[in-house]
Amino acid sequence: MPAVEPCTMEAELIPSQFPIQSMLTSLSKTNCVQWLPPSKIVLLGSRILFVFFLVSMASSVWAQSKPDLERYEKEIKPLLVEACFDCHSGKDVEGNFHADELNPDLVGSKDIAWWLEVYSQISKNDMPPDSRDLSEADRALIVDWLSAEIQTSEKLRKANGSHSPFRRLTRYEYNYALQDLLGVPWTFASDLPIESSEDGAFENNSASLRMSVQQVETYHELALKALERVTVRGERPPELFWSIPMRAAFEKEKKLNARELKAETRKFEGKPDTQAKQIERLEKQFLPPADRSHYLNAETGDRARAYWHYRKANYAVEPSDTFKPMPEPGTHFAVVQPGSKQGLTVELGDRVPDQGMLRVRIRASRDEGASQLVPSLQLSFGFKATDQGAAIQRVSQQDVPINAPFGAAEIYVWEIALSEIEHRNTYRGEMNLGDQPSPSEYIRVTNSVQGGGASEDSAILIDYVEVTTPVYDHWPPQSHQNLFFNKGEVTDEAAYAKEIIEAFMSRAWRRTPTPDEVDRKLKLFQRLRPISDDFQEAVLEVLATILTSPKFLYVLPGENESSQASGNIALSQNELATRLSLFLWCSLPDQTLLELASEGRLGDRQVLEEQAHRMLADPRAERFSKHFVQQWLKMRPLEFLSPINSGRGLDTALLDSMKQEPIAMFSEMRKRNSSVLDFIASDYLVVNQRLAIHYGIPNVVGNHFRRVEVPDNLNRGGVLTQAGLLMMNSDDEDSHPVKRGVWLLTNLLNDPPPPPPPAVPEIDLSDPGIAKLTLKERIENHRNHAACISCHQKIDPWGIAFENFDALGNWRDKIDDKVVDASSVLPDKVGLNGIAGLKKHLLEDRQEQFVRATVENMAKYALGRELGFGERAAITELTEKVRESGDGLETLVICLVTSELFRTK
Amino acid sequence: MAFDWKQLDRRRFLRGTGAALALPFLVSGLSRSESELQDSENQVNPKRLACIYFPDGVPMPLREDPAFEDWSWFPHGGGTDFAFTKCTEVFEPLREDMTVLSGFSHPEARKVHGHRNADQFLTAAKIRREGTYQNSISLDQVYAEHIGSQTRYSSLVMSTDGGIGTPRAAQTLSFNRNGKAIPAQQSPKRVFDMLFVKSNADAARRLALSESALDEMLADARDLRNILSYEDKHRFDEYLESVREAELRVQKAGEWVNRPLPSVDRDQMEADITPDSPRLYLRAMLDMIFLAFKTDSTRVATYQIGRENGAGVSDRLARAVGFNLAHQLTHDTTRPGGWKNLGIYCRFLNEEFARFVTRLKDTAEPAGRGTMLDNTLLLFGSASSAFHLSRNYPLILAGGSRMGFSHGRYLNYAGDNPMGGAWRGGPEPYQKEINHDDQPLTRVFVTMLQKLGMETDSFAGAAGDFPELLS
Repeated sequence: MPAVEPCTMEAELIPSQFPIQSMLTSLSKTNCVQWLPPSKIVLLGSRILFVFFLVSMASSVWAQSKPDLERYEKEIKPLLVEACFDCHSGKDVEGNFHADELNPDLVGSKDIAWWLEVYSQISKNDMPPDSRDLSEADRALIVDWLSAEIQTSEKLRKANGSHSPFRRLTRYEYNYALQDLLGVPWTFASDLPIESSEDGAFENNSASLRMSVQQVETYHELALKALERVTVRGERPPELFWSIPMRAAFEKEKKLNARELKAETRKFEGKPDTQAKQIERLEKQFLPPADRSHYLNAETGDRARAYWHYRKANYAVEPSDTFKPMPEPGTHFAVVQPGSKQGLTVELGDRVPDQGMLRVRIRASRDEGASQLVPSLQLSFGFKATDQGAAIQRVSQQDVPINAPFGAAEIYVWEIALSEIEHRNTYRGEMNLGDQPSPSEYIRVTNSVQGGGASEDSAILIDYVEVTTPVYDHWPPQSHQNLFFNKGEVTDEAAYAKEIIEAFMSRAWRRTPTPDEVDRKLKLFQRLRPISDDFQEAVLEVLATILTSPKFLYVLPGENESSQASGNIALSQNELATRLSLFLWCSLPDQTLLELASEGRLGDRQVLEEQAHRMLADPRAERFSKHFVQQWLKMRPLEFLSPINSGRGLDTALLDSMKQEPIAMFSEMRKRNSSVLDFIASDYLVVNQRLAIHYGIPNVVGNHFRRVEVPDNLNRGGVLTQAGLLMMNSDDEDSHPVKRGVWLLTNLLNDPPPPPPPAVPEIDLSDPGIAKLTLKERIENHRNHAACISCHQKIDPWGIAFENFDALGNWRDKIDDKVVDASSVLPDKVGLNGIAGLKKHLLEDRQEQFVRATVENMAKYALGRELGFGERAAITELTEKVRESGDGLETLVICLVTSELFRTK
Repeated sequence: MAFDWKQLDRRRFLRGTGAALALPFLVSGLSRSESELQDSENQVNPKRLACIYFPDGVPMPLREDPAFEDWSWFPHGGGTDFAFTKCTEVFEPLREDMTVLSGFSHPEARKVHGHRNADQFLTAAKIRREGTYQNSISLDQVYAEHIGSQTRYSSLVMSTDGGIGTPRAAQTLSFNRNGKAIPAQQSPKRVFDMLFVKSNADAARRLALSESALDEMLADARDLRNILSYEDKHRFDEYLESVREAELRVQKAGEWVNRPLPSVDRDQMEADITPDSPRLYLRAMLDMIFLAFKTDSTRVATYQIGRENGAGVSDRLARAVGFNLAHQLTHDTTRPGGWKNLGIYCRFLNEEFARFVTRLKDTAEPAGRGTMLDNTLLLFGSASSAFHLSRNYPLILAGGSRMGFSHGRYLNYAGDNPMGGAWRGGPEPYQKEINHDDQPLTRVFVTMLQKLGMETDSFAGAAGDFPELLS
């Protein structure tokens, strides 16, 4: 036996980039066998034997159904003795690896991790150190035997339930599940810790989804909070109405200006010179230039500044108890010019409630003689209590394009859930309006159009703003009625509680609860009722336990279908429904899926395919695009970038757009079933206006993403040239070819380079010779260190091909007056000539590898776990199928969903 | 401005009964095993932490200014050879019980305007000037999590202005694990009642609810174990263990609910007092910390003497020494006698802090060895030094000698020429380039936490400690 426990060994000895590393995760779990008392091992063993007979009869895919120990003794062991035992046997062994103690039974022994390492070393020609010590033919023999053994082992362990779908919901899945369950698209999970996915793994990887006491407690709090938020008590609160014609805003500003002028005049009485100067200064200040946001009297052309200051709540508008219909369009407007710093602020005072919806209606149009740039409105909510104590939050999900032409204004409407606003003014109800700190709050609309120059007229004209709150669709609101269905007078609390609880359990646990389960919850209700304020509180407490139950939080094996019950490795109908909905909706199955599952029809390939199509067509499939792409392309570093710290032209709109681009492209490809090879090179981009400006593409107007053709001579297309990804793989100042190379190899080709060895020499910038080199030259210099060369020659050429893109993903021909040299040579002597050369190489020579890697990545994500070595065949088969059908992205999803891999454990 | 103290008090109290003062179940994040808990309970000397903060900075007259000698906040000299000024001479009798620090600050806060640096004083977070506000856990709460339910209250969070204030203008020093502000208590009477008079009637009910919820989780978990495979069961144990651990916490909390409150002689307390009597109020607030510590009701306390930028009830504490508004004093340093006035106000704060330290020093550890001060670590200071400048924090670290802290020194890391002087227009000091590298204050925090008994080598993601405080 090796001296080191296999569990601890993994990390040290199996390099994490090794392609079959994936199977370790699943296999190491099997090491738990060692914790069983001996009697159980025997039982387990006999079951394995039983299972393997079943498998061997049922499956023809697998060539072999039991360990081939005979062949080991006869053929393999002698080779190992010859090639390895010199260093790896006896007392003082190299690397703590005892080749002489390895148990050749990969199924029964605990040595599987060591055997994987042997497989790795031998197949990659890394061992023996002098490759002449093992002939090619002998090497092939060992590899052949080992891969067969590993497959056998994998298959038998798979039958043993190693690949159970059991895992906890991720943070984002939990959030979506609550949204779907409670019927409101709100944020519920913000207090849960961010998933700490292991390096390289997807966030939904079962092995890294842990649970702690903090989480258990947080789940309980979140569940209660969520239930409180979607329910109400008592009478419907009266609505408040704010009506703000821009004439009033204009006149108020003029009045305040006059007051200030008067005060200033008085202040400098007797000092006519200063007085005149001050008055002139103020008058200038009060008359803004037309290209800044302002109020306008369209009849006279008179302007007033669109100003706001928090002090004394001077600008607060008093709400009314009665609704006032909007009058006909008037003569006064707020002219809102582009830019986040010159919005129109409407101060609402201190009476905006905590719950319910805030409805904002704005009558707006474009300006006269508007350019082709379509302006758009963004809505924020905020407050300023003191000069530094302030918060503002964008509350509109999407910018609203203002298409109404001048003279034909339309009404644009937003509805904001007040409970979604993170920071509210805590001085409400404590200070009086007008006091300092100010308890007042405001909404602000900004014109978010991008790229309008001085000559472009893309102003928005607003003549009327109307605010209503708290707005409820019904009373009690729908989300309340979803839980407490309307019964009229409740005479029998216990019976009503049973109805509510049972219905909620079925939905939350996606199955009919057993009588026992219902009974227990009812007992809990009975226990809680006397110590609760009212019926509703007691029920909500019970519902919270349903959401904190592992039956909600975990993806469970199907009911009464324990993987131990039989050797059947097919997923149960229920499991399949859950896997499908987690894959495509990041949430729990809906009613349709559950019904199909309960009718046993999801096993039908046709039905499964139909369902996948239905789900992809649903808006919830956007969650799939978002979370798969973010995790596949390892986009988390983008979250840490802040436009404020980075001077060089990275504004919020650009950063947001960059984060969105890969997802938008994926969605577009999914909807059109475009070839996955488009990720490498495409003749179209999916961009919005801000990105189009960044890329230099004209005539893209508006902040929504859409497909545009790549203009000639623009070196864009596919994900490799997307600015966000290029920026993410740069350091602050400049491109980072090593990062880019590693990223490409790791995520797009599934061929990650090994991690850097310890004690890597740093690039010595104090050496004047080195400091004046270009980055590429520096890298070459660094690479010449013996410790670095073996890895870097595998990485750098890939990254150098991106050198025409700077740290913001802009194209460049020169770096500091030197012409960019983006040519490089791969270890196999293939030359890459810049990004075009790289794409060409990937398409011509690595097409198969890329498609396979993409299939594999999506499979990992769909299954929520790493793939085993034994599942390589399934991936190969799937890849072939996708390739035969034209590489379509939707095809890939459908093939995957209907594959055996997806439908089994 | 008419100020309705009673109304303010009631509302703040309603919100203030939230996180920090509540029983620790489902609120504090305790992350220790039971065995650790046992170990620390066996210790005779409790380890306590109090952090006390004042806003607006301190007198920083330039060397050539006539006020430099008498009214600088920082002492003259360095090491063991230093002299307090008129502003700080009240600390002279406590010289051997404290260390004065200069030249420390939080790297992420050094360019932050002084009106919004209190938010980060105990958290070291990077907080953007506008847009999304995200803070992180504060020093006291890190330790409070460690203490957990060993005491009735995991921490005592107080401020003169009460509540949480607003983002970037906090009225509390304490932030939980998610970076959410913990509402501060502002009424000494409320604190007193909570500590010694009435038990939280709601607590027993909440405990019962929590217990039932946990029972349910366990029952559901048991159902599940029956259908899980061997492998899955093993992984699922993590959930079970977590629920059991949560249950233990509830039990602990339950014990506190049933245990009688400590009795304190009410007559000696002037708790029912407001900032309208500034000196008495300040004294009463510090007395609350003293009493809470003495009765071991908690071992962690924060008190924000005032929010930044005036604008709150705390601004009127300056009336204790005959001025009107405290924050205005920092702006009036250009006027004749300005430094002296600010110095007199700071001296007043120092007097009360010194009185508090002395009280701890004069009180034997109730159930242990040495004095209470020996077992109590005190951090007193501000996140501003010169005008609106969030660098070179004026800081005093006092007590904790039984934890290994060594005192009697002025550790000057600010250099000979720290930024100071009155602001007379132009770019403000905080807008100027950083020409002196302060020590990261997180290092002091790390050493504090280590000596409070936590195994840690970083705070807010910044590694490194400051062992010089110990030698």
